[in-house]
Amino acid sequence: MWEHRCKVAVSGVGFSKVTRSAEIPLATHALEAVKGAVADSGLSISDIDGLATYPELPATGHAMVDGITIVSVNCMMAMLKLPNLAWHVQVETVNIGGAVQQAANALLAGVCKYAVVWRAMHNPKGTYQNLPGTHAAGATQFTAPYGFGGPGQGMAVAYTRWLERHNQSREKMATLAITQRRHTQMNPHAYFYGQPLTREDYLGSRMVAYPFCLYDCDIPVQGAVAIVLTTADRARDLKPRPAYIAGYGQRLAFEVAGRIGSLSSYMEGGRSSSSLTWERSGFSPKDVDVAQIYDGFSASVIYGLESYGFCKEGEALDFIQDGRMELDGELPLNTFGGSLGTGRIHGLWHIIEGALQASGRAGERQVKDVDVSFVGASAPIVQGTTFIFVREPY
Amino acid sequence: MLARMSDWSKVTRPIPVPNELSRPFWDAARQKVLALQRCQACKHFQHPPYATCVRCMGIDLKFEPVSGKGAIYAYTIMYHAGDKRFAAAIPYASIIVELDDAPGALLAGNLLEAPYTEAKVGRRVEVIFEPLNDDITLPQFRLARGA
Repeated sequence: MWEHRCKVAVSGVGFSKVTRSAEIPLATHALEAVKGAVADSGLSISDIDGLATYPELPATGHAMVDGITIVSVNCMMAMLKLPNLAWHVQVETVNIGGAVQQAANALLAGVCKYAVVWRAMHNPKGTYQNLPGTHAAGATQFTAPYGFGGPGQGMAVAYTRWLERHNQSREKMATLAITQRRHTQMNPHAYFYGQPLTREDYLGSRMVAYPFCLYDCDIPVQGAVAIVLTTADRARDLKPRPAYIAGYGQRLAFEVAGRIGSLSSYMEGGRSSSSLTWERSGFSPKDVDVAQIYDGFSASVIYGLESYGFCKEGEALDFIQDGRMELDGELPLNTFGGSLGTGRIHGLWHIIEGALQASGRAGERQVKDVDVSFVGASAPIVQGTTFIFVREPY
Repeated sequence: MLARMSDWSKVTRPIPVPNELSRPFWDAARQKVLALQRCQACKHFQHPPYATCVRCMGIDLKFEPVSGKGAIYAYTIMYHAGDKRFAAAIPYASIIVELDDAPGALLAGNLLEAPYTEAKVGRRVEVIFEPLNDDITLPQFRLARGA
């Protein structure tokens, strides 16, 4: 087990308004989320001395404009004017979970006391995927000429392999979509709050990239979320009950750039990340009381459940049936609605919900008697990280 | 089910831009030869081309012809014009092919000369060549004929 387990905790969490597309500068969303997280902790902005983010813009073909389409660490520094700032980082090899892990490392190293991590997501007005031009250079030269234009397609190919190799049917995914949408109705910050979804809606919806229909894809939105991390001893002096980080991991596999993700690479990414988290925390899948597993496209949940070890390969769509993923089920899953419910904010909202469930702060959607709360943040193949949060240090 | 063919006639495909690593691949394709990068030390084929052998760290890499026969590893059928350049062809099948000669080296393509509904994991395919201009010819795939 990891000697540093339960020495860092998530304290406050914060949310901005989520809108369908950009109406105000993205920096405004990020500031709202960061101020919310700091206030939730009972801290002042001037207490914050560490900053971390992953500022990537997933909408393709748009300019990176700091404060408008991304919110970098520099942008946040300029907005907050932190008098005690002591440490900051932007990560790149994994998604936002990597920023959370780096913040935990900085706290363990004693180079900062209260770190804020945010994820701000831009959705431009008009075309999300802006793929103009007559040529395809770099990694896209082997994919774009065949009409592989976006991430949905890249994810869809692994899903057809999974479905046909395991003789499964995509209709079973309706259970994931409608259960998560039911959970969304208990999350007022979510984009689809107030908008239920039925099995008939799912089964009758238009196809996007077979096997993905509309409701297998998270909706691009503009918004931001944030968390405050601190050391366990400091967290105990703050207002919210801490959610202790018992272990974490990141994907250790990668393949040649430009290759379309293979199913085996998804699985390898997930296994490499979670095996570190299980080993560091000392827990195993059967110990988990509630799980948040990244669902930017629904099939990511399949790869997560199987590669993290919650069920066997080929069984994930059967695993989620019969109420197992409901709030009172055997493995309550994506209890905040997931990205399919909140809109596309990447993995930090999964991390937030994992922490809220561990600290008993999830309100109406709180799962009973949570001691061990698992998070698989971001798709396991390229950007995957995993976490375990616990209610009590051990 | 009515057999549906994707209409590629109005699609102007983005033209690949060869670079230092990929130029031999495109030079071969122009001659209607499918050639993949192969490590001369461990004989591993890899695609897309890379600076080193990702299996053995070898640096002596050469392009060698392969048969162009293989099986569909995975596919998707595109109904949404995420890439507007392909709007006229939807629905169309984008496929990933694993070649018999080069296990693990996955190639993207479209399933041509067949209804898009014929795309299935494991189905046998063979390479064909689609010239885009005088310099660039695109390897593509159709259902395998004969054995």
